[in-house]
Amino acid sequence: MNFICNFPFFSILLSLFSGTICSVLSAKAAKLVNRVVIVAVGIMSAILLLYLLSTGEPFVYWMGHFPAPWGNEIRAGVLEAGMALFFCIIMYLSMAGGAHKLFGEVVENKHNLYYILVNLLLSSLLALVYTNDMFTAYVFVEINTISACGLIMIRQVGRTIEAAVRYMIMSLLGSGLLLFGLCIMYDLTGHLLMSNIKESVGLLMANGEYPIPLIVSVALMCVGLCIKSALFPFHAWLPDAYGYSTVSSAAILSSLVSKGYIFLLIKIIYRVIGFNIFNSTRIIDVLFVFGLMGMIFGSISAIRENDIRRMIAYSSVAQIGYIYMGFGMGTQAGMVASVFHILSHAATKSLLFIAAIGLTDVSGGSRKLTDLTGAAYRNKWAGAAFMAGSLSMVGVPLFSGFISKLLFSQAAVQVEGKMLASLIVLGISTVLNAIYFMKTVIRIYTSNRESAYPSVTFRDMKSYAAVLICFMILNVILGVSSQPVVDMIQLGLAMFD
Amino acid sequence: MIISVILIPFIAGILIPVIPFKKRWQKEIFLETAVVANSVLVWYLLLHHSDSTFLLAHFTGNLNISFRVDGMSMVFAGLVSFLWPFATLYAFEYMTREKHENVFFLFYTLTYGVTLGIAFAANLLTMYFFYELLTLVTVPLVMHTLTREAVLASRKYLYYSLGGAAFAFIGLIMVIVYGSTTDFILGGVFDPAKIAGHTDVLLLIYVMAFMGFGVKAAVCPLNSWLPQAGVAPTPVTALLHAVAVVKAGAFAILRLTYYSFGTDFLRGTWAQTVVMIVVMFTIVYGCSRAVKETHLKRRLAYSTISNLSYILFGAVIMTPLGLAGALTHLVFHALMKICSFFCAGAIMHQTDRHYVHQLNGLGYKMPCIFGIFTISALALMGVPGLAGFVSKWNLAQAAVDSGNPLAWGGIACLLISALLTAIYMLTMVVRAFFPGKDFDYSTVAEAKDPNWKMLLPLFVFTLCIIGFGLYSQPIVNFFNDVAGGGV
Amino acid sequence: MYPILLSILFPILAGLFLLIRYRTPLSSRAGTAKRKTLVILTGSFLIITVLLTVIAIFTAKEGFTLFYLTETLPVYFRIDKAGTLFSLLAVVVLLCAGFFSFEYMKHEERESRYYGFYLLLFGVLNALCFAGNLITFYLFFELLTLTSTPLVLHTGSKEAVMAGLKYLFYSLCGAYTALFGIYFLYKNSVTLAFTAGGVLKASAIAEHGGFLLAVAFVMILGFGVKAGMFPMHAWLPAAHPVAPAPASAVLSAMIVKAGVLAIIRVVTMFGRDFLRNTWMQTAWICLTLITVFMGSLLAYREPVLKKRLAYSTVSQLSYILFGLAVMNEEALAGSLLHVLAHGFVKAALFLCAGAIIYKTGKTRVEEMRGIGREMPLTMWCFTIASLGLIGIPPTGGFISKWYLAIGSLKSGLPVLAVLGPIVLLVSALLTAGYLLPLTINGFFPGANFDYDKLQKKEPCKLMTVPILILTVLSVLVGIFPDGIAPVLALAGL
Repeated sequence: MNFICNFPFFSILLSLFSGTICSVLSAKAAKLVNRVVIVAVGIMSAILLLYLLSTGEPFVYWMGHFPAPWGNEIRAGVLEAGMALFFCIIMYLSMAGGAHKLFGEVVENKHNLYYILVNLLLSSLLALVYTNDMFTAYVFVEINTISACGLIMIRQVGRTIEAAVRYMIMSLLGSGLLLFGLCIMYDLTGHLLMSNIKESVGLLMANGEYPIPLIVSVALMCVGLCIKSALFPFHAWLPDAYGYSTVSSAAILSSLVSKGYIFLLIKIIYRVIGFNIFNSTRIIDVLFVFGLMGMIFGSISAIRENDIRRMIAYSSVAQIGYIYMGFGMGTQAGMVASVFHILSHAATKSLLFIAAIGLTDVSGGSRKLTDLTGAAYRNKWAGAAFMAGSLSMVGVPLFSGFISKLLFSQAAVQVEGKMLASLIVLGISTVLNAIYFMKTVIRIYTSNRESAYPSVTFRDMKSYAAVLICFMILNVILGVSSQPVVDMIQLGLAMFD
Repeated sequence: MIISVILIPFIAGILIPVIPFKKRWQKEIFLETAVVANSVLVWYLLLHHSDSTFLLAHFTGNLNISFRVDGMSMVFAGLVSFLWPFATLYAFEYMTREKHENVFFLFYTLTYGVTLGIAFAANLLTMYFFYELLTLVTVPLVMHTLTREAVLASRKYLYYSLGGAAFAFIGLIMVIVYGSTTDFILGGVFDPAKIAGHTDVLLLIYVMAFMGFGVKAAVCPLNSWLPQAGVAPTPVTALLHAVAVVKAGAFAILRLTYYSFGTDFLRGTWAQTVVMIVVMFTIVYGCSRAVKETHLKRRLAYSTISNLSYILFGAVIMTPLGLAGALTHLVFHALMKICSFFCAGAIMHQTDRHYVHQLNGLGYKMPCIFGIFTISALALMGVPGLAGFVSKWNLAQAAVDSGNPLAWGGIACLLISALLTAIYMLTMVVRAFFPGKDFDYSTVAEAKDPNWKMLLPLFVFTLCIIGFGLYSQPIVNFFNDVAGGGV
Repeated sequence: MYPILLSILFPILAGLFLLIRYRTPLSSRAGTAKRKTLVILTGSFLIITVLLTVIAIFTAKEGFTLFYLTETLPVYFRIDKAGTLFSLLAVVVLLCAGFFSFEYMKHEERESRYYGFYLLLFGVLNALCFAGNLITFYLFFELLTLTSTPLVLHTGSKEAVMAGLKYLFYSLCGAYTALFGIYFLYKNSVTLAFTAGGVLKASAIAEHGGFLLAVAFVMILGFGVKAGMFPMHAWLPAAHPVAPAPASAVLSAMIVKAGVLAIIRVVTMFGRDFLRNTWMQTAWICLTLITVFMGSLLAYREPVLKKRLAYSTVSQLSYILFGLAVMNEEALAGSLLHVLAHGFVKAALFLCAGAIIYKTGKTRVEEMRGIGREMPLTMWCFTIASLGLIGIPPTGGFISKWYLAIGSLKSGLPVLAVLGPIVLLVSALLTAGYLLPLTINGFFPGANFDYDKLQKKEPCKLMTVPILILTVLSVLVGIFPDGIAPVLALAGL
């Protein structure tokens, strides 16, 4: 066992404990610790990724060297490591991009609390990514929920508390359902480790035993995670939660937290139930339909929104719809597209949230679209970044959004029955995306010279601008040289089996 | 070499706001030199083209951005590079009365590069890429005046174009999945083995992609952005909304139909019938709206809508003759429409009159402008001896030759449209020259012909219209060669 | 080649010269001297053009291709007999009306524009007559419309502009309808050059003869617009009265005849044997007969003189078309004779009306009582011309109608062979009904008429001489039909 194989475990523990440490540190030190941890975890993930690419084999790490079925396991493949690396990058950039706003948004003495929550969140995300044990997954889902709630609530405005409560209720409902599903699964198979469950499930299916409980269990787990990741009919908690929390929180929540659950779902599909068995159920059709509806209704809600951040939040609903549509296609290609979209959406959505804050800052803090007129002239970098993000969302070539669209459509063509529906909805959704994003872009570029709000220059916001530039580069890299990423995703998915 | 003609406008454009020009004429000379140099380069490239493909970047899989010069690109690039220097010259004069010149010229020049990118694209993906880019670089031009009207127009333009591209994108996907390559090959790239059993779906997708690209070519019912976009400064309306942008839409459809889906696959199918009906309807619809419209530029915009569908009509006949006809009209209509738009622009610039009923009596005060306007009007109507007749003749011959009764109906549409064209164009001419018995000439005493910067392009274009009308043999032969795959 | 080109290009260039040289209107003060130069200039241009045309007709025997519009579309000129006939008529009418207008146009503005377009029109008419294939013909047919519109528009009154536009759009509509046919004809024919006996490919006739018949019908309908054929005749009564009188004369006598020439060409291209005894012939004859009758009836009811004459033109032109539609030698001869007769007569009548307007300003028929006493020469000419139109021997109208009737009876068509002559006769009666009251009231205003108010108002020679010439010619056509024997030989087209 190579030393590098310890890295997943180290990452989880490091972030978990650094969170605890933060509680006794001053705000500044906590911030430093937080950054260092994220960077460290990122580096470890990168090394792990390189290692896995070189070996070409996933490995299973026995916690405390207890073998299955008693021990707890961590499993790392290319996809896991890549995802962890990506999460770290996004998280670091989101934190850096929102840092200057933190003083305005969170009372000073709670800053270290904030970093605790972020660290906890990171650790739970990492755990969701790496774990090979369903119960561990459940535990970290709960930790994730709690820290996310905290992140929403920490900006103590009336609206955020309401949002946090709403989020809490929906999330708990989701994790409850997940737990139910888990229990039934445990009952049926007698295992909690993913690999073992998969074996049993395969046997059960082959023998035709307990078909209905099995389906119910899978369905419950799916619904639970769908609620948590805000798939269309369960998205009511999302706009407030993303729209009113602190900038960094919004960016992290939208691009990472929901993605963590989705990643867990992918793992469940591949590692617990088995891709083929999952595809033979009707559940994928349901996911497909909800995905399509989400793509449309999310965008429609976004069009009707007059608050830039809520608009971006609603757009997340649509984008999550894309991801579930990919699941719903039930093919490897669809799954690849979905995973790619997780990356692309994470890179884009956090960019948008962070750019939006730059725009609202120079518009007297107002988030109303009408007040944002000409904001791009007052804060040029935020304007450019918002435009880049919008173009990516609309799917203009050169940006990552184009590649996801390309992958989705290519995947769709290979699925006989779902091709037309997905292609047409993709088209319509692009139109809708264009409507609300381009409307905003045009508005911020409509000059309003006699505006009373001051302009900011590059000097005033070096770090902020740097974050934006990094995001844009990330986006363009994903858009231009997507082939290695796609290859990696394919490799990673192949490693799941 | 190819990439340089696309890049030069980019560089020149970006330099405009960067270089601190002291005097306006310095900027003019800089820009005009860059544009002319680029055009010369393009023509050099066209005349000495090699058949090789230039690969710029690799996307995913077998998708790449690459450029190549073939017959179609020669037509479009030749046209664009011929018109651009003149239009730029015209713009110098026109823009003296508008604000934010630098931004304007920046995007105006960028558009040149992007348009050439569309022309030289060697595969569908590259074309799609530049097609999207074209939308983006032209939006600031539409929005230029920043009035509420302009903002609304540019919004609409964006929604329509991006939305259309989304559906065209589906066509692209089909070509990627079912084609042997995405490169443009005359006759189509579909792999017969792969498409077996998927014909109807592919046809449906073709119709969708046609309508998608059709947004830029202003196919009814997706045309309402074009008249609205007329709020842009006239050089934009003239060059972009009569030539570059809208022709890019038509060009894309030609590429899609003849070079990707392939006419053998499409001819005689229900998809052909559907798109032909759409096109025929647009031909008549555009003209009728033009007759009703009283705003000068919007009237011409509706006329553009109708004329673009002439080109598309050639496209949907789906025979080599049809392609030749479409290309003929692509080029000739560009000349005629840019001419009439520049006249309209000159009128607006010189007299600040925007509506048809305000043209009364201007004819004698601005004889050059209205003389040229009359010629372009006659050419648009298709009077023999001017360019419009030749293209209509080619289109009609293609339609007759195709033996498709619906196409014969299309000829009738062409002629109805010609009549309506006469109505909306000649009423303006008559107004200008015959203002009525009791017209008070003192109201137009101030009006006069503009200076040489505006007149020179107009005279050149008019000469072309007459020249091609009287002697079109070589160019029509060239189009036939292109359509036959000979170039 | 050069005589033809000269006869076409000279008037066009001369016209353009006038338009450019005199682009600003002559002011009333400095006007008289300048006007004199303008008139002399135009007059000499006119005479030179006439000479050039006559030379061209008698010297140029060979056809030639000027250039190619596209690879397959030559612009080709050749003088044939039909062209000669129409060209001669044009020369006479345009010369007379031209000189008439030197006096008449004194009371209109912007004379130079009028003369400029008049000369342009002359050139285009020549080109039209000399065109050797359908494309060239079509080219100048459109140009004819465009150059004649300014003449209709000339007065610039609201009414004139509306009428001018109506004329323009009707004509273009007709031209485009014809163009529709040309597209198909081109595909199915050996050549577009005018060739006796038709140019259709035998294979095309065999394959879709029925469709080609429809194409022929569409083309005739299209060109028929110019010739005022029902149902597209409405532009004619609107456009003729608003134009200056000499322009009306040219319109009525010559320009509408371009439509006739076009139809002669179409029939030639398709071949009479192909068209004879088909549904298309029946439909066409019906249309012409309806027009003949309706035109006369409307003229009969019309109180404004020039409008009445315009309706009369509608009716008379369909006499000609009827002859063409019957498609045998006698009828064709009748048609061609009527082209000449009607050309001279109608020009004379319009010029008379113009003289009356010029001198007295009267436009309505009932105002013109006693006019014969005031302007005896004019009214005598009017009367003689009227008789020609009605068809009383020995005028031209009689001979032409005779041939038309004989041709119709010989054609052997069911019902129409007999119905045709009857309609022609009824129409002749109506013609008498709407023209003769003018003469009668003009010379015999009635017992209660106040003779003292009458003054001598005979116009100057510049006006009367052209009228006289035209009147005399209209009679001569009738007395010496053999003099135009070549016309009859045309029957062998």
